[in-house]
Amino acid sequence: MKFTRLLTLAASAFALIVAGSVGASAQSTLEIVKKRGLLRCQVGPPAPGFYNLDANGEWYGSDVSICQAVAAAIFGDKTKLEIQSVSSQVRFTALANGESDLLSRTATWTLLRDTQLGLDFTAINFYDGQGFVVPKDTGIKSALELKGATVCVLTGTTTELNLADFSRVNNLDISPVTFEDTNVRNDTYLAGGCDAMTNDKSSLAASMAAFPNPGDHLVLPETISKEPLAPAVRQGDAQWFDIVKWTVYVLIGAEELGITQANVDDMRANATNPSVRRILGAEGNLNEGLGLSKDWAYNIIKAVGNYGEIYEAYMGGGKLGIGIDRAGSANALWTQGGLMYSPPFR
Amino acid sequence: MAVLRAERTPARSAPLSETSVLGWLRKNLFSSWINIILTIVSIYIIYITVTGLWVWGVTDAVWVAKDRRDCFDISIDGACWAGVIVWLDNFFYGRYPRAELWRVNLGGLLLFLWMAPLWLPRVKDKIFIGLTTVFLYPFLAGYFFAGGDKGLFMQVMISLAIVALIGQTLHAIIGVSSGRGLPEYLIRLLGKEEASEARQRHTLLAILAGALVVAFVGQMGWSFVGVSWTKWGGMFLTLVISGIGIASALPLGIILALGRRSKLPVIRVLSTAFIELFRSVPLITVLFMATTMFPLFMPEGFVLNKLVQVIIAVCLFSGCYMAETVRAGLQAIPHGQYEAAHTVGLGYWGTMGLVVMPQALKHMIPNIVGSFIGLLKDTTLVSIIGLFDVLGMLRAVSQDIPWRGLHKEPLIFGAVLFFVICFAMSKYSRHLEVKLSAGDNR
Repeated sequence: MKFTRLLTLAASAFALIVAGSVGASAQSTLEIVKKRGLLRCQVGPPAPGFYNLDANGEWYGSDVSICQAVAAAIFGDKTKLEIQSVSSQVRFTALANGESDLLSRTATWTLLRDTQLGLDFTAINFYDGQGFVVPKDTGIKSALELKGATVCVLTGTTTELNLADFSRVNNLDISPVTFEDTNVRNDTYLAGGCDAMTNDKSSLAASMAAFPNPGDHLVLPETISKEPLAPAVRQGDAQWFDIVKWTVYVLIGAEELGITQANVDDMRANATNPSVRRILGAEGNLNEGLGLSKDWAYNIIKAVGNYGEIYEAYMGGGKLGIGIDRAGSANALWTQGGLMYSPPFR
Repeated sequence: MAVLRAERTPARSAPLSETSVLGWLRKNLFSSWINIILTIVSIYIIYITVTGLWVWGVTDAVWVAKDRRDCFDISIDGACWAGVIVWLDNFFYGRYPRAELWRVNLGGLLLFLWMAPLWLPRVKDKIFIGLTTVFLYPFLAGYFFAGGDKGLFMQVMISLAIVALIGQTLHAIIGVSSGRGLPEYLIRLLGKEEASEARQRHTLLAILAGALVVAFVGQMGWSFVGVSWTKWGGMFLTLVISGIGIASALPLGIILALGRRSKLPVIRVLSTAFIELFRSVPLITVLFMATTMFPLFMPEGFVLNKLVQVIIAVCLFSGCYMAETVRAGLQAIPHGQYEAAHTVGLGYWGTMGLVVMPQALKHMIPNIVGSFIGLLKDTTLVSIIGLFDVLGMLRAVSQDIPWRGLHKEPLIFGAVLFFVICFAMSKYSRHLEVKLSAGDNR
């Protein structure tokens, strides 16, 4: 696979050069999307919580909802959307070469990616972080007790590097056991092939829920890395960047203001709170700078609900959720001690 | 001591050890202590494997459940086939709209109908039928699969395909029942056996033109909802990609192989360079190049269908491998055959088409089928570049929330599916070999 990686790198570098010229000269992304009548939104290979295929071949998940929200903002119709599932090797190239308009997938926002790949991260919609899972009967209560442990980890990802850093900093002498495939890693862990398992906490929660006896395992409290996830767009189109960024903010702002998918019609007609009236287009002209219709935010909420509803459905305890507690985490609203915060709508 | 006798000794029956089951067992399995131990150990290994699989996969397995947790509740140690069953549509058709699945099925059925005459005895003009399969069927099937608006070109090709399909089906029926062809039958039907040859030909052309017009008018009132290629997937997509790859590999391979053996330096060098370039690069690299690099060289706003890019890449790749197979076959033909062909006055194409290729292709069948099988399996690489072929779908099951973690069962199902298809291909090639080399065993 080394060759493939080299190729990917070369492709990304090349894409970066081309993307610069494309971004500068092109018609705006919004015009292209409107003309096409379809938003091309890139997600990754199925990953629980973020983007999944169901038995009918339909996509669902929190990042898919972001795609639907942007489609709804532009067209007022969340189905005018083409979901592309691209492997992580070519995700940035596929955005840079114009195959997709928007990257809504678990890509961690890092300085290098933001500055060197010809793309811009918009607004963070999920704060993830790497954690550990151990069998309860080991009695381990903290990651700092993992001295000399063998830990199952996926190879070729930053999780492997984070684990090595964590082990070095805390003098733990952890020996990693690496895997390519989540399922094989889980099976090895369950069969006792390693003392603990590490990955992003969202992914750990999803894996754990699929164990025969989830109650026998414990996610340790430590979070050893920062993985802020945000939709990304091509560099060089400020309007498009704003549309995606403010779509995420509408979702967060709507939750803060108590607007839900169920009450949005009622709120638009009867609300007296000026913020609510402005965001839903009942007064003011928030839409003008974005180049969207007056009811863009209304369409978003009508189509996918607010941030809390999306979280509950796919990340939280909903029927299709992966069951991560939101309360007390970074993903709670700022009013409830989290980091989810939208700038004011005015 | 008289050894010679006048009367024959009566034939004795074969020794018991050669005829009875016990004798066979003793001879083959229990002839020495080492063999006895080996036999017992092997039987034990087979026994635990088979019973283990049987208990896991059948007796303890769950066939109906609403999600994987439900499977666990019913039987924690058994296989959970319920998830595989619920996902069957995805495995076979990918994300194709469920209301339109019949189009895929009908398209596949048409291929059978189309190719059936090739397998029937007493049917003439099989080469023509083979050609329409390669050049006309894809248009009809393509429209069935993709739907949407038809351009004029597409309409003409669809009409041609419909006429060809109906014509050759009738041709095959008439052929099987009477040994004659459709044209002959039509002439007799019209009572024009006595007419001149030119007249007969004109009559037939008129009938063909009439049929085309009818088909053209007929297909105008007939349209399907468009289904974007992004919704294609599963076994259907795998078969489309590898099917087109297989269909184009042989013609492309023959052309490249002939080019490589050509006496004209330019053609030879170009063919050799082309073959060596594609053969020295892994398929996955060709796919990456085709799907991510190629669009960068295109004018802005020009987004070529990714599926088309993949198919072109697969065709070129398989064509180059096929070229070397064909070249190997060509080299096996003794030089005397070429000389003999020249002596009877055949030119280059005559020599190749009538003398060399038919012999060479026969020798190549095992290798050709081998590369077809390889191509079918290689096609699963497209799941890496984000097309949901059958492997992509089999792996997606374990990520779907209700069936989270279910990964062994779908992969076993996939293995069985591939085995059935590949084994059938391999058996068919064996059958072809026997049939075509019947002349050698006289």
